[in-house]
Amino acid sequence: MSKRSAEAGRCPHCGAAVEGGVDTFCCTGCETAWEIIRGAGLQRYYQEREAFAPRPEQDRGGWDTLPVTEEADGTCSVRLQVDGLRCASCVWVTEHVLQRADGVQEAHVSYATGRARLRWDPGVTALPALAQTIHALGYRPRLLGEESRPDRTLLVRLGVATFVAMNVMLLSASLYAGWFSGMEDRFRQLFHWTSLALATPVALWCAAPFFAGAWSGLRRGFLHMDLPISLAVVILYGHGVAVTILGRGDAYLDSLTMLVALLLAGRVLEGHGRRRAAEAATSLAATLPATGRRFTEGGGMETVPSGELLPGDRIAVGAGEEFPADGVVVAGRGTVRTALVTGESRPAALEAGQRVFGATLLVDGALEVQVTEAAEASTVSRMADGLRNAADQEARPTSADRIAPWFTAATLLVATATLLGWGILVGWGQALTATVAVLVVACPCALALSRPLAAAAGLGAAARRGLLLRNADALLELAAVDRVALDKTGTVTAGAMEVLEAHDATLRVAAGLERFSGHPVARAIVREAVDRGIPLPRARGVRERAGIGIEGRVDGAAWRLESGGPGVVHLVDEGECCTAIRLGDRIREDAAEVVSTLEALAGPVLLMTGDDTTVAERVAAEAGIQSWESGMSPEQKAERVRSLQAGGGTVLFAGDGLNDGPALAQADVGVAMSTGSASSILVAHGVVGSSSLSALVGGVRAARAAAKVIRVNQLRSIAYNVVAVGLAAAGWINPLVAAILMPVSSLVVVASAARVEARVRREEGRLLEAQSGRADHRGSASRYGGVGVAPGTAGALPGSTAILPGNEAA
Amino acid sequence: MNALIWLVPVAVALGGVFVGLFLLAVRGGQFDDLDDPPRRMLQDDD
Repeated sequence: MSKRSAEAGRCPHCGAAVEGGVDTFCCTGCETAWEIIRGAGLQRYYQEREAFAPRPEQDRGGWDTLPVTEEADGTCSVRLQVDGLRCASCVWVTEHVLQRADGVQEAHVSYATGRARLRWDPGVTALPALAQTIHALGYRPRLLGEESRPDRTLLVRLGVATFVAMNVMLLSASLYAGWFSGMEDRFRQLFHWTSLALATPVALWCAAPFFAGAWSGLRRGFLHMDLPISLAVVILYGHGVAVTILGRGDAYLDSLTMLVALLLAGRVLEGHGRRRAAEAATSLAATLPATGRRFTEGGGMETVPSGELLPGDRIAVGAGEEFPADGVVVAGRGTVRTALVTGESRPAALEAGQRVFGATLLVDGALEVQVTEAAEASTVSRMADGLRNAADQEARPTSADRIAPWFTAATLLVATATLLGWGILVGWGQALTATVAVLVVACPCALALSRPLAAAAGLGAAARRGLLLRNADALLELAAVDRVALDKTGTVTAGAMEVLEAHDATLRVAAGLERFSGHPVARAIVREAVDRGIPLPRARGVRERAGIGIEGRVDGAAWRLESGGPGVVHLVDEGECCTAIRLGDRIREDAAEVVSTLEALAGPVLLMTGDDTTVAERVAAEAGIQSWESGMSPEQKAERVRSLQAGGGTVLFAGDGLNDGPALAQADVGVAMSTGSASSILVAHGVVGSSSLSALVGGVRAARAAAKVIRVNQLRSIAYNVVAVGLAAAGWINPLVAAILMPVSSLVVVASAARVEARVRREEGRLLEAQSGRADHRGSASRYGGVGVAPGTAGALPGSTAILPGNEAA
Repeated sequence: MNALIWLVPVAVALGGVFVGLFLLAVRGGQFDDLDDPPRRMLQDDD
């Protein structure tokens, strides 16, 4: 990626075109940010960044009443989510500016997630000052709640089990050597007792998660894969205790400990992947602004934390502010942007009697609002809770669990047959030895490992391509998808207002007038001007009139910008002569390519929209979608998904709005767009973390690869079990053979899970060859250029995509 | 060979010390974030 350093005609900070030489800034905000960075001695940022900085906006304040954690040593600390970080250098500069601020003792911004941890001396500085610094740099801090603590116990269990497995293996190797060269009984005793002492915590404590899983499965009435595992652990350990005490026979304790260690490793990897996906989803969830302005009894106004607002309170909300609570408009007019809750990108007019949602943005106007819900009951808070709960839901029955009952039944059957067969034909002593051998080799270690490992690798591969899936179930459903339904607004289209048609000269004047406005139309105009490289002129006497338009002087002449009907803005000059700028929702650049690839990969694509026929027809034609349906209500969308499923299809639905919620929940795999409403992210099985639709294609490929590997591995491990159980029943298995066979079968599974990423790449490579000459549109292009994740790292979800959520173009 | 009688327990105990160190590392949060430090490493700092 090219470096973004200073050049003439561009703002040195944000890269917007300006009239002037080097070091002419587009606005005071950029100049302030530039000075802060220079002042901290961090000008290296400008040589190393890979993307221009976002243009700083005004801080909305309210940081002084935020709850901060007071540490034992008298310092204060807080956790923030920093939005708008675009590249590694952004993270670097934010972290270092904070570190060099007075009174800051610790500042840490994660490159992977954009989360920040701050600790400071309250005697020297305070949170408002630090938040303002982040704001002044152009990034947007948000307060994060309590951190979900990773499960450290599982890691300790894995560590202990691995240590024990290695040592018991060593002792067992000596015992095996003793078979051949002879061994004094006291050494045999020593090795057995030491092995038992080591294996005891493994069987009783390290294996506890499997017991818990088996039990919770039983309680809810299904046989979990953990059940045969628990059974094997219990039998092996009991047998080991008996052998050690009696001083006769073979203990198989090396197999036991190795088994637990391998299974725990699978669990740790799986949990890591799941936690990353859950964190990414939580980062997307919005939070209420810190404070609200409440009318007091005496007619005055006070600023209070939004947590203290109660139903019945009257609050004032001004232009550019977020609503601090859910409520009903009592007086005033304004325009609200509710994309967060409803996914609707167009601002809507508000008047008395209408409902408003906390955390949505009042674009212009001024309102008096009566609060209807306390903060913790507000729509956004409930969404955030839902996300957290969805993240740690209990495991559902999986395909491995469907095999589990058969597996357990078959094992027990063969074991009984072995016991009786040997007992009756040969003798009960040998019968017991053979039966134990059957139970040992029948432990479904490889089978139980095949799914979590391949799924973790598949989730990682999908996430590297921009699709963050909630869990392995969603991944496997995605692999089976054979029908695709797409929402129009915000999914096939970008969902944001964009300039479709305007002359350069018109755009230049309009952008000059709109330069400092936060209105979506204004932003679209300024963005288009910047993209076309048009230097922004300085406007004077700019006056914004809510609901009417904006006026001011550019190049000495007076201009007025006003609405000219839906999707059209008129620029009117002094002589009342007007030119038009057409705006609209543009189709995503990669939509047509994604649609054709999805049709080849995952079956017919259907476009569903609540919009009217003409728009639907235009978008469908542009995206190359054959079938489309328009004018659909949310329920109709869900109903249509249901009818596709009734026809035997496994449906992938991608959408972004509140109105897509029912369909997202109904679909086998519902995928929400990260730019969409938080509510849609809540019900969805996955989130497209990047701004590119091609994440869907990458996700389907990753899911297919993972599913294939899982299928092959399940067949392999079942074949292994059949052969090994057969050998054991015939009395040909001894502890040494078991100790070699079992880890080998598991390692084969581990090795093939690592090939998921390679498989996906091969598929992509095949496609590229087929369309040689066309550009590579994979969604995986790392924003950090080259700072990727090593291929095949099972469970390593990508930071490059995890940072994208909340990363809209400012 | 009699040395084994005490050598084996000593070896295990020694290994136990390292398990203890691992435990401390986990408690200290060394394994909580496995994604950020590898990226941080690539930022050559002053």
